[in-house]
Amino acid sequence: MAFTLLQQGNFTSAGVGVRIPLPGSADYFVTNNLTQAITQANPGVGVKFEWYNGLTAADAAIEWKKTNSTDALNMVGITSGGFTYVTTYPVVEAQAANAITAITAASPAVFSQTNTYSEGDIIRIYGTTGMLQYGGIDIQISTVSGSGYTAIGLRASGLTAGTAGYTRRISRFSAVLPESLYVTEITKASSAVVRTSIDPTLVYVVGMKVHFSIPASFGMTQMNGLTGTITALSSANYTMTVNIDSTAFTTFAFPLTTASPTAQLFATVAPAGASTQYNTSTGVQTGYDFNSQSFRTSQFVPFMYLAAGAQSPAGQTSDSIVWQAWKKEN
Amino acid sequence: MSRFERLSTEGGQLDGSGIDPASEVPVRTDIDAQVEIYAKTITTNEQVILFEMNKTLTKFTALLGQWLREKEDLLMRDLWASSISYINCTGGTNGDQPSNPSLQDFNNIETILLGNDARTMLASLDAMDKFSTGPTRDAFICLSHTNMAADFQKVSGVLLKANYAEREGLRPEEYCAISRFRVFVSSKGISVPGASLLGRTVYKMPMYGVEAAAKIEQNNYSSVIGYRPPWVVSSVAQNSQLYAKFAIARAITNQNWVSGLNATTTQAS
Repeated sequence: MAFTLLQQGNFTSAGVGVRIPLPGSADYFVTNNLTQAITQANPGVGVKFEWYNGLTAADAAIEWKKTNSTDALNMVGITSGGFTYVTTYPVVEAQAANAITAITAASPAVFSQTNTYSEGDIIRIYGTTGMLQYGGIDIQISTVSGSGYTAIGLRASGLTAGTAGYTRRISRFSAVLPESLYVTEITKASSAVVRTSIDPTLVYVVGMKVHFSIPASFGMTQMNGLTGTITALSSANYTMTVNIDSTAFTTFAFPLTTASPTAQLFATVAPAGASTQYNTSTGVQTGYDFNSQSFRTSQFVPFMYLAAGAQSPAGQTSDSIVWQAWKKEN
Repeated sequence: MSRFERLSTEGGQLDGSGIDPASEVPVRTDIDAQVEIYAKTITTNEQVILFEMNKTLTKFTALLGQWLREKEDLLMRDLWASSISYINCTGGTNGDQPSNPSLQDFNNIETILLGNDARTMLASLDAMDKFSTGPTRDAFICLSHTNMAADFQKVSGVLLKANYAEREGLRPEEYCAISRFRVFVSSKGISVPGASLLGRTVYKMPMYGVEAAAKIEQNNYSSVIGYRPPWVVSSVAQNSQLYAKFAIARAITNQNWVSGLNATTTQAS
């Protein structure tokens, strides 16, 4: 039967990995870097990348790479920084385990780790030494460099510092949105401010209701089982303000390392609908955002994940990339 | 979907002064879910139909029917996996966080659900005069992975399905009863690789009562299985297609009536 061009598209690289939904799946996938095709860079960069279903390993590709300062091409196989074909979700794109060398006992916690993570990536921590109470939590990272990053959502002042452990990058979202989040801090205030381990603005909006699950080991037992409405969100601080008066509650605190592994983990918050309000004076309706508050699939599958970089299919910042997905019908 | 929340039960007493009690504004909670459409096709060449003895179109129709229900189950599994709160088991003995499950972990979730006025899903099974059997209380549902089966056998007070006094009408997937929960297992249950303190696979076990979640079907659209004949699919009338298609919307309708446990197994994983 026919070998068909199923889909074609293009994008301008932002220097970060790209996910391309493939409703009809693909047997052959190719990208061409139109920007680099007309340059003679030194060192030479990849201009064409190919992938064959079932034959190309995850995160690998066939790379057509220019030699330094000329248009002459070399074909090489790359084993990382290529394509990852994802057929089930949530699955991790190129999820190699990576060793941590230190986690500071500070708020926010700062990680020391040789890494290739990107700003805003979400990683899972496990196998920690010292900071045991964070083993198994998912965090979002920022201020990323090749030697470390900051976890705005992790408040570790007063805890035992971490001296070792592992991380693994995980998918940006769970399979279904809105998803539940890990709670790392709750203030005692007339409107409680709740900090989460990832930026809550990714999944919640003002007006949504959220339900708290706070194990007794976290201290603020009065919050357990309560449902509140989000009145404000902060992307900079990973916080949300809810209309729950926690002034008289006991203090929220992460269990100590010495309580591991018997202290119950984790404190979480989960989506619980919304209350629509309509102001008859102003005609403004609040608390209703169908695109954000409805339960829905987070990421279309299957999709192709293109790694970014000079020797990768998603290219470097400002590169113009065209891609094609082909299907073999037999 | 929407529901009106309970009215406050504070005050309300008339003091004889003739002053009316303050009016209360009812609070409505809206639960939204997007309708999503899923489909699967099988293309068959006429030579397969002509020469294959196994009545392929009939078998492919059955396959599509199986896909349809499996896909629905997996979509609901993903909802449970993503959008509810789980608490780590800590009563087990494997030294991990979460640990393998224990009776105290199950009892903790029962306390949470009862404290939130959740109602049980299944009726009690009365005791009978059969050796080695016992009654089960009316129960909440617990969904889990088949890899957890050996650990359930070790939980204090477990009643394996073979020891139920009455087994008529039980689902094949049911494994045991622990505390106030009837446990159902599946090889497609929720598992999260490398997510425990020690890097083990974590198994998420949603536990819920009635009306905690909803699976909504689209009017006049659900569960369509169809056939496209060769003269439609192929220019030389050689290929035909079977397809299945369904629409679904899913939602957690009340977080008070659902909770769950994270657990690891003592088995190699």
